[in-house]
Amino acid sequence: MGSLSVGREFLGGGSYASVVKVLAPFLLLLIALIATTYLDPPLPRADLVIVERSDCFTLDPQRMSYQHEIRRGETIYEGLVALNPKDCSIKPGVAQRWSTSSDGLVWTFNLRRDAKWSNGDLVTTKDFVYAWRRALLPDTAADYSGFFFEIEGAEAFFHWRAKALAEFNARNSVAPTTAEDARALWETTESRFRDFVGIRALDEFTLEVRLRRPLPYFLDLCAFAPFSPVHRASVEQWTHLDARTGRMEQSHGWTKPPHLISNGPYVPTVWRYKRDMRLEKNAYYWDAARVPSQSVEVRVIENPNTQVLAFGAGGVDWLPDVGPEYKTEMLAQRRLFETRHAETIHADQARGMELDECIRTLPSPMFGERRDIRALNAYGTDFFSFNCRPTTPNGAPNPFHQVGVRRAFAMAADKQALIDRVTRLGERVATTLVPPGSIQGYPLVEGLPFDATRARAELANAGWVDRDNDGFVDDRDGKRFPTVDLLYSTASPRYQNLALALRDMWRRELGVPVEVRGKDAKLYKEDVKKGNFSIARGGWYGDYGDPSTFLELQRSTDGNNDRGYKNPAFDAMLDDAQRETDPDRRLERLAECERFLFAQEVPLLPICSYVTVYMYDPSRLHGIREHPRLEQHFDEFERIDAAEAEASP
Amino acid sequence: MTRMLLFRLLQLPLIVLAVYTVTFTLAWMVPGNPLENPEGRRPPPEIVAAMQAQYHLDDPLAFYGEYLAKASGVAWVMGTSPHPFDLGPSLRQPDWSVNEIIETGAPVSMRLGISAMMIALTVGIFAGVVGGMRPGGLADVATQLLSIVGISLPSFVIGSALLVLFAVKFRLFPIGGVSGVESLFLPALTLSLPFAAYISRLVRFGMIEQMRSDHARTARAKGLSQRQVALHHALKNAFLPVLSYLGPATAVAMTGSFVVEKVFAVPGIGQHFVEAVLAKDITLVMGVVLVYSTLLVLFNLAVDVMYRWVDPRIA
Repeated sequence: MGSLSVGREFLGGGSYASVVKVLAPFLLLLIALIATTYLDPPLPRADLVIVERSDCFTLDPQRMSYQHEIRRGETIYEGLVALNPKDCSIKPGVAQRWSTSSDGLVWTFNLRRDAKWSNGDLVTTKDFVYAWRRALLPDTAADYSGFFFEIEGAEAFFHWRAKALAEFNARNSVAPTTAEDARALWETTESRFRDFVGIRALDEFTLEVRLRRPLPYFLDLCAFAPFSPVHRASVEQWTHLDARTGRMEQSHGWTKPPHLISNGPYVPTVWRYKRDMRLEKNAYYWDAARVPSQSVEVRVIENPNTQVLAFGAGGVDWLPDVGPEYKTEMLAQRRLFETRHAETIHADQARGMELDECIRTLPSPMFGERRDIRALNAYGTDFFSFNCRPTTPNGAPNPFHQVGVRRAFAMAADKQALIDRVTRLGERVATTLVPPGSIQGYPLVEGLPFDATRARAELANAGWVDRDNDGFVDDRDGKRFPTVDLLYSTASPRYQNLALALRDMWRRELGVPVEVRGKDAKLYKEDVKKGNFSIARGGWYGDYGDPSTFLELQRSTDGNNDRGYKNPAFDAMLDDAQRETDPDRRLERLAECERFLFAQEVPLLPICSYVTVYMYDPSRLHGIREHPRLEQHFDEFERIDAAEAEASP
Repeated sequence: MTRMLLFRLLQLPLIVLAVYTVTFTLAWMVPGNPLENPEGRRPPPEIVAAMQAQYHLDDPLAFYGEYLAKASGVAWVMGTSPHPFDLGPSLRQPDWSVNEIIETGAPVSMRLGISAMMIALTVGIFAGVVGGMRPGGLADVATQLLSIVGISLPSFVIGSALLVLFAVKFRLFPIGGVSGVESLFLPALTLSLPFAAYISRLVRFGMIEQMRSDHARTARAKGLSQRQVALHHALKNAFLPVLSYLGPATAVAMTGSFVVEKVFAVPGIGQHFVEAVLAKDITLVMGVVLVYSTLLVLFNLAVDVMYRWVDPRIA
């Protein structure tokens, strides 16, 4: 076999030919490498680099839903008004001025004349009317359509269109519908919107909105990303009427660069799905002079481990969501640092400085300490729901239908111990649902404290006493307290640990049998919706800056009332408070509702305010805000380079 | 040669069709529905119904035919689809088409896979030649040991160790994202190790055999040094098994990098594929499978062409 090739070489085959042949595949690979690099060229570093756990599903503001998506939306688009991230007060956005009628039903917005889209077009009232109509079309499948239902005629319009589309489909299954039919239905839809929905462009720069009831937090809604305008002309290029379903179909090409036209401080110029998004300052933005960073890169790193390593390796300015594996240990290092400088920090804070400003002036952390991680109170509350229905799913009487039993369970839970030993993130104990200090002018409401003695007394009052000294409480007939079915989702170890700790507390303090039941996220949700639990893990983040975003959960008819808590007295109290037109008195009455809920009724057991854990170095990144709603606006972020930071401590 | 090329190119669509059919059957047999989403976003029932009808999720046979026509470009030729090779919208990410997702992820995965193969070839051939020239010597034992480590240690262990050491401790490389060549070095190195180990064993074995062969003895008799014999006479033949391994290995390096992509946060196609399978995003699964099976066939073809060139006796 070898003789042939040797023979060839003796006959003058180049002695390096075989080496060349061995190198050939290598060269081919090199060419392929250069080609793929050419197809996908790297971008220069942006002024700010932010790492997120998941990518946005959409940049269509009306269809946005997730927190990071909404945050991106508020960076790219600007609504009528905006929230001031520092205290969540309202500041002008596209609207320069606004006024409301004395009954609080009619709002008139005067748009600024210098608000422009990123292609130079003026932002006019027509863009708002078009965008808000999109949010009210079932065709768009917007998650937050319900928020627009507070506008006069909006809810009826939405349901009318949904019904009309269903009928259209039914017709299509009998005889094929045509493009003409779809067009006719669309024209009727347009005229119904014009005639019956309270959104009107009085002229190019004056927008009138009529509400169905006074809504003191309406401006807060207007600052929410789904209320942003869209550039009508560019969106319409991507829509068409479907002759078969009658729906206004849209393809999503307009939500991606280079087609996306936006009116906020930044415009996306590159968006590679689950990879990165690059935002460049919008040169046409009316307030562009205020925006410190020219470009922002948002990178997607799903693995929480790699996220933290990427931050540790440098080059990442902000990590808005640190994975659970790291939090507790690193937060302990932060606490060491803060403890060592506690005096200076307290003195600075007493002078009105924010924590970041204090930290910035301190010397660098020593070994074993760190300052680049921080747990911030968020606009949400971690709780466990009591099943308040009169009977259990199998028809037996449900002890948690009794207020006394719920109060006993609530007071037997030592929340501080749970935070210190189980969650270990330094959260604030919560006795109510609305996070303290998150809403301007809303008074502090106190719920039930931890008090094991009172808890046992409440349980005894409800008729549950250990009559046979077996360590478990029994009812008057000597029947043992039914085993409490404590349901949690296995999506995170946090819930399991909390459930186990609560089980032990209730067994110990109250003498009740408790069994924990972990289910994966989907089955857990199904069981919660069906009321198949005694006590279930829950949690809620507020959507807008008003206590009702938390309190409405307990309304008998609310879709998220997983507890089956039905109390006409509470519903009436809530209605009365909502009807109050004086904003301060209204908040006071809402606080009474909350007091009624958590000092007396306890349909759920609040554990703590949620915290969100960020990684950023306060001496390098300026602009992170600590208000619980955690409105972080990229257009306020500024990276200070190390040299500058050293020079001006 | 031309006949072989033509024949193989004609085979391509048949092979891909077979792969498509098998993947389709498997994907359809997985229980669950891509439109149901337990975590959050649930479109209203009428929209789900409309989407099911639109994508033929209620009718597997119609889906099979329509998807095939669009993906293969037949529909485009017939004028019923605006784009050739349209792999459809992703069912779980309605704002993105499968083509767009593959276009963003594939170049990254390919770059990673190719870089890994280049490292594997360099390291593997070098180690194999060094070991094969003096079997049982110190260099041979050392490279053999290393190759066993390379084959047996899982990539998430090696990857994490490299990451912590070189990126976090010494800050030599960035983490996450793809910027320059340096950002791909560590993941490519991690990915290359098992391939390098395998190649080194192939080359070593080939070298031992070749160095003992008649033509090597003849060459030595001519007065050539051991090194010259190894480089100019033994290596070429010892390299042939590596060449046939190279085609499928490159394809595996480009597709099988899911773990490495996760550890290093490389935004390649691997993550999309695994997530698509878990979420039953049929269009995305089909799209990725189609693209990769086509690539695999083409790589094998390229290897066969090179094989004939390196060793003309094969033809």
